[in-house]
Amino acid sequence: MKQKETQEEGNILFVGIDLGTSRSSISASNGTRQWIESYVGWPKDFISLQVVGKPVLFGADALKHRLSLDLCRPLEHGVIKEGVEKNEEAVKEIIKYLIELAKPEPEQKIYAVVGVPADTLKVNKLAIRRAVSEFAHSLMVVSEPFAVAYGLNLLNNSLVIDIGAGTTDLCIMHGAIPSEEDQKTIVNAGDYIDEQLYSYLTEKFPNSKFNKNMVRQFKEKYSFVREIAGDIRVEIPVDGKPVMHDIKNEVKRACESILPALIETTTEMIARFDPEFQTKIKNNIVLAGGGSLIRGLSEYLRDALKEYGPCNVTCVEDPLFAGSNGALKLAQDMPAKYWEPLQEVKS
Amino acid sequence: MLPINSKRRELKAREAILRGVYEDNLKIIGGQSAAPDWRIPLFVKKMILFYSVLLLTILGQGSYLDLPLFPERQMAAGIITQEQQPLSPPEADENQITSSDYQEFLGSAPLSRMFGLGVKTIMIDAGHGGDDPGTAGKMGTKEKDITLDIAKKLKERLKRRGSYNIIMTREEDITLPLNKRVELARASKADIFISIHLNYLPSKPINIIETYYFGPSSDVKTLRLAEQENAGSQYGLSDFKDIIEKMGKTLKLQESKELAASIQKNLFINSKKKNNSIHNLGIKRAPFVVLLGVDIPAVLAEVSCLSNRQEEIELSFESHRENIARYIEAGILDYLNKGDTNYEAKRNTGRR
Repeated sequence: MKQKETQEEGNILFVGIDLGTSRSSISASNGTRQWIESYVGWPKDFISLQVVGKPVLFGADALKHRLSLDLCRPLEHGVIKEGVEKNEEAVKEIIKYLIELAKPEPEQKIYAVVGVPADTLKVNKLAIRRAVSEFAHSLMVVSEPFAVAYGLNLLNNSLVIDIGAGTTDLCIMHGAIPSEEDQKTIVNAGDYIDEQLYSYLTEKFPNSKFNKNMVRQFKEKYSFVREIAGDIRVEIPVDGKPVMHDIKNEVKRACESILPALIETTTEMIARFDPEFQTKIKNNIVLAGGGSLIRGLSEYLRDALKEYGPCNVTCVEDPLFAGSNGALKLAQDMPAKYWEPLQEVKS
Repeated sequence: MLPINSKRRELKAREAILRGVYEDNLKIIGGQSAAPDWRIPLFVKKMILFYSVLLLTILGQGSYLDLPLFPERQMAAGIITQEQQPLSPPEADENQITSSDYQEFLGSAPLSRMFGLGVKTIMIDAGHGGDDPGTAGKMGTKEKDITLDIAKKLKERLKRRGSYNIIMTREEDITLPLNKRVELARASKADIFISIHLNYLPSKPINIIETYYFGPSSDVKTLRLAEQENAGSQYGLSDFKDIIEKMGKTLKLQESKELAASIQKNLFINSKKKNNSIHNLGIKRAPFVVLLGVDIPAVLAEVSCLSNRQEEIELSFESHRENIARYIEAGILDYLNKGDTNYEAKRNTGRR
């Protein structure tokens, strides 16, 4: 029996997938690490099909050709919208593409753990399963912050705050699988910062021409809270001429716009937890997701929570792969007997 | 990270977590598959058994089975097709499609003719619209646009006949909840109601045509489709009781079925001439809200299949949409003029 199991194991490729609103990543047991931007684009018509030369495009490729594509960001608010088949189709394409990127051997079975925003899990677990099941032999869906926590070995008395694009997910770990109560989702996250920044900039520079994509790039490059030294100057065209603009205040205001809700939810979650363990949790707060790259965020949180006693806030080292690495670890640790009942019937 | 002495405790926690993840996922897929330690306690099983028997007894004694909608005897006689009824080939006798005791009673003329009521008003409903795009093809063709265009073309064609008053539920790209459509049909005193939709089969690359009329269905796929099409209805469950009672009007059911058969036949036979790979799924019963809310003969035609790439391309051509409108028109006219010898003669000589 033991021998049979090891034999089989060689023929299985474990993959961990982080299905995010903005970026999706895959970590596989053969060592592959890949990520794409969660955009899927289909050529708008025959001419654009000629131009782009492919029936479907992904990530940066799709963004580059966005003018000739029907662009779809399937997990816009952290969920697949039920009944919108195009979104489901797009999720399918992303999963298919990610698994191709992991380069499985032709004979290999694929056992996948997919991390999705905590709220998605509640609303449409089935839709996600449907989308993934065609490409994996067996499959488990878990919440994103939980996968991060598992990957970092934070199984007990910790709080993971995963600031993504569509949602910010909070998850308390207490040595068991987190229940619905232990997870909270806030809908203000990266996309919200983009929106705020866009409106602040339009307000300040009514004559300058910029788009959402440029604003997102500004954010990703310069985001900060609290104080930093120096100016933030970017080039934006005015009447076609490139002009330097100072956007420091706007970036700060936009980034800080998500904080009140975040702090309120964090304190609320800690306060609800068993008082005996509250101190431990406060010393074990971990920031993950793209939002953890905002400069000064961990310090800001530490200061904000000061009145509730000392606490320690750290950021994950590799926010892009923290989720998929955790999902992969979960997949590899999962006993074979748990995989079998969840196998999908391949058509 | 963690001190070594707590290793054991950590291992245990890990085991519990892995198990939790597994059970959670098992729950998502419905859960009854054979899990290692997964058993339903015996008393729960007993309770389920008891309640199902109780439920069956109550239902069996009530009027449920005697409802005129699903008369057992008639079902056996083959009047009402539960699943689907492939249409007879073109050369087959018309009566074969709808032959029944009921039909004998009525003769071959539709009800409207028998009582000299003449159909005056036809209501055309372009599916979806506005915020609700319906399904969409891979190249972005939206169901709402195609259905509206076909509906408009159909309206023009029928108008040219001169003898009918044509009303549309929507003539622009506006959001219109299903219950509004039903209200419109009632308020306008329409005589027949035709709703135009496009199909979408995510998993199969085929092209199909099917036409629905209202009735309970046991087909899971049809129910799912109905669920999708009913999504904007804003009808509560309580309304359904009322509606079901209304369905007692078997006449409406019978008439709707004939209208559906006539449209389906014309749509399919003509489309087949152009595209040999098309599939005929026949006429089906389904609980679509648009169909059941109206008291008049009502059908819902899924005239094409947007998930089929080739078909999506075809649909972008005006001529193809015009053709679909023409086939639906022919189906309506066939139904309305059935038994009219003048029309039959004209039709046989005048058209190919």
